[in-house]
Amino acid sequence: MARRQRMQIPLPALSYGRPTRDMKRESFLVIGALLLGAPLGAQGRPLTVTGIRGVTFGAVLPGVPRVILRTDPANSGQIDMRGPRGPVLLTFVLPIQMTGPAGALMPITFGASDAGFSANQTIGSQVGFDPKQPFTATLPPNGRASVFLGATASPTPNQRAGAYTATIILTVTVL
Amino acid sequence: MRAIGVAFLLSLATLSLCAQGVMVAPHVVFISHAQRSGSVLLYNPGTQPVEVTISTIFGYPVTDSTGAIRLDTLAADSSVSALAWIQAFPRRLTVGPRERQTIRLLARPPAALADGEYWLRLVIAAQAGRVPITGVADTTAIQIGLTLEVRTIIGVNYRKGAVHTGVSLSTLRAQVVGDSLITRARIERQGNAAFIGTIRETLVDSTGAVRAQQLGDSLVMTYESPVGVYLTMEPRLASALAKPGLPRGRYWLRYEVVAEREDLDPKLVLPAPAARDSVQVIVP
Repeated sequence: MARRQRMQIPLPALSYGRPTRDMKRESFLVIGALLLGAPLGAQGRPLTVTGIRGVTFGAVLPGVPRVILRTDPANSGQIDMRGPRGPVLLTFVLPIQMTGPAGALMPITFGASDAGFSANQTIGSQVGFDPKQPFTATLPPNGRASVFLGATASPTPNQRAGAYTATIILTVTVL
Repeated sequence: MRAIGVAFLLSLATLSLCAQGVMVAPHVVFISHAQRSGSVLLYNPGTQPVEVTISTIFGYPVTDSTGAIRLDTLAADSSVSALAWIQAFPRRLTVGPRERQTIRLLARPPAALADGEYWLRLVIAAQAGRVPITGVADTTAIQIGLTLEVRTIIGVNYRKGAVHTGVSLSTLRAQVVGDSLITRARIERQGNAAFIGTIRETLVDSTGAVRAQQLGDSLVMTYESPVGVYLTMEPRLASALAKPGLPRGRYWLRYEVVAEREDLDPKLVLPAPAARDSVQVIVP
């Protein structure tokens, strides 16, 4: 009975294109794993890291730096976490500039206290930390917490008009 | 029952999430040598597809000079690395809205693998969606859009044959700083497997009465912190004292490390004797 339930889990797509002998072998291994695999969810609680919103700058004027505080409820970046109680390591990979039209660049900076951890998911109750350094946080007993992020965009006086983009990466490591 | 459990996990995830991200379950994977395989469930509770990339690294938690926990990804002890022989499939996938997919972990250990535990870390990178470019719809305006990517790293522990673990405690110290109790102790793992357990701290006054500590809005008589000791750690723990703080005097901190975890199936937690120590805390 239990084995039949396992077979109801859909197989992930292995690859695209013509199967080779190695791929067939891997398919057998995957099927074997499917039949023998440990029960899902029996090894621990799920972990969810959700990007709620990015840092929002709104209208930016040439030559005028735009500062977004991590305590800004509308414009700060927010990432929610939900998982088992315990320590997690938060590590950001941050851009130093944004790319715009025709390769134009715009500096973006993050201060030493531009990130904040909230164990009760309220923007008014944060422990600030430097997003350029790894930070160890503890998920509370209910397993829910949030990370907030601020930043400063610094357009030059002759900054080219158009759309600028960059990527912020947050890594959450279960310790 | 298992189907009900998975459905329950999925229903929990859908309660609050409307943004982009994936649920990863479980948060640590244990693979036995008999099975040589494991699985991780990904669920997208959002309304847009999420592109996911899977990779593996070797690493385990350590502490730095300040007691902060870090992930050491240097192959300092490659004899316990399973990076070369555990693979994850598929490596790239798209999880549609309200869909779930399964990552399979397949182990092909070397024939002469010694009994013990071997580790790697699974990196699940989710492209969490592009934040809409904001600003006026004007070609003369400067507009900024940031893409957010979240990565989740979970542990994978492969166990072969007779595995046993334990810890020894030394150099326990504690002090009251402001409204917090700060402790550090050297915890050294024994045996051939990681010690997955919990640190418990209890503060006792000179009459033998237990003094409460603050945990969020609640008072607890014992402060607990989950810990995974892969080799040696010296973690710094900070717990809040119950308000209005401790009166002047001498106290004892009882410190114990036990092989218990409330977030894991007890069958997966290797049994080990508890390690205990105590130290005097003086509040001037």
